[in-house]
Amino acid sequence: MSFDLDLILDSIPKMLMGLGLTLQLLFLSLAIGTALAIILLLMRISGRWFLSAPAMVYIYIFRGTPILVQIFIIYYGLPQLELVRESILWPILREPFGCAIVALSLNTGAYVSEIFRGGVLGVDRGLKEAAAALGLSARQRFIYITAPIAIRLSLPAYSNDVVSLMKSTALASTITLLDMTGIARTIVAETYAPYEVFLSLMVIYLVLTWMIQRSFGWIEKRMSRHVRSEI
Amino acid sequence: MEVLTGWWDDFFWGSLVVVELFFVALILTVLFGLIGSAAKLSKNRFANAIANGYTIVFRGTPEILVLLLFYFGSAVALTAIAQVFDPEVKFVDFPPFWAGSLAIALIIGSYATETFRGAFLGVDPGQVEAARALGLSNLQTFIYVRIPAMWRLALPPFGNHMLSLIKDTALVAIIGLEETLFVAEQAIGYTAKPFTLYLVVGTIYLGFSTIITLTVMLCEKYANRHLEIAK
Repeated sequence: MSFDLDLILDSIPKMLMGLGLTLQLLFLSLAIGTALAIILLLMRISGRWFLSAPAMVYIYIFRGTPILVQIFIIYYGLPQLELVRESILWPILREPFGCAIVALSLNTGAYVSEIFRGGVLGVDRGLKEAAAALGLSARQRFIYITAPIAIRLSLPAYSNDVVSLMKSTALASTITLLDMTGIARTIVAETYAPYEVFLSLMVIYLVLTWMIQRSFGWIEKRMSRHVRSEI
Repeated sequence: MEVLTGWWDDFFWGSLVVVELFFVALILTVLFGLIGSAAKLSKNRFANAIANGYTIVFRGTPEILVLLLFYFGSAVALTAIAQVFDPEVKFVDFPPFWAGSLAIALIIGSYATETFRGAFLGVDPGQVEAARALGLSNLQTFIYVRIPAMWRLALPPFGNHMLSLIKDTALVAIIGLEETLFVAEQAIGYTAKPFTLYLVVGTIYLGFSTIITLTVMLCEKYANRHLEIAK
């Protein structure tokens, strides 16, 4: 057993060819998942049981099962149902890429909506009461008072979830997609050099994690600039 | 449901493997978490650096990559060692159960490290000083004062780590451990009913998640029983 430096230099550019796919998976499912999370959040805080109960069940199911099982159900499982094969969604669900996006978005939506809910619950009651006393309607209170503060409160947890989602995109390699992990697995199958390939890929993922954390650190700092100026 | 005829016992044994994997990994997770948090809190700069490196690497890279590295990496290393003694040997692999539980425990252990560190810091220093004043040794202070006070703080986040742990056990099917997801894959080979069978796996995991959530709730109630009177 030896550590083959040439192989590392050879395989890093190959794996980086999958970076585009990894980033597509990340940003698309983050956007769709966040939108879904907002809908779920509004359902949960609506105060109407027929809206909040389905949202709670949804969150319970998607947070209680492994993402890998969710990906398998969507990619391998759904084509079993005729209903799915004849639906308009079939062009998306036929492709592994579409399935990965759907699975990752549905999963992230459940996690992020809980984070947002924590943010909304963290908003000081007094502020909402003050807004009500000023004559703002419920909708205005949510948009102008609750939402901006809740977003700031939930940012740190949200950034952790973006990192989790980035790590979950690696599971797309299990449904034949050639993201960075998929390419690495192909190289290892050919060369049988797991240390060289997987360790260098881990470094690439660490850089991505670091970049996500730095960007969110910058956004957090910017969003709480009014707090710093008081000190 | 008739799809499942003849597969019930396989799913039962598969679930048992999940439970075994969960408990082995859980014990190791607590161990890694305690060692990691002790290293982070120690004044030794070398220990600090190692523990920081540990949490950065294992929290910042995809779980599946760590698992693949452990499984294939150990197989390559073991094969190389075996070939020193017997050149005829072609392939020796590390049991997937142990490669899996070690990889998962190291990953969740890195999260537990941060949780335990925070919980130890949350213990009132006055209590530790009081224990010293009473003449308790370092070990006695640790066992009778720090641990009982810290586990109450660590319990809610640790409950979440246990949920991540049970869900990560699904990944071990990728390296060929005969747990529920693996059983489902085999059953699909015979029945061609992927949706139904993966749904069974999902339901099994949802059951496990529910049990863990309820157990953590009970533990939290037990841990905070002295606060009940104050309510």
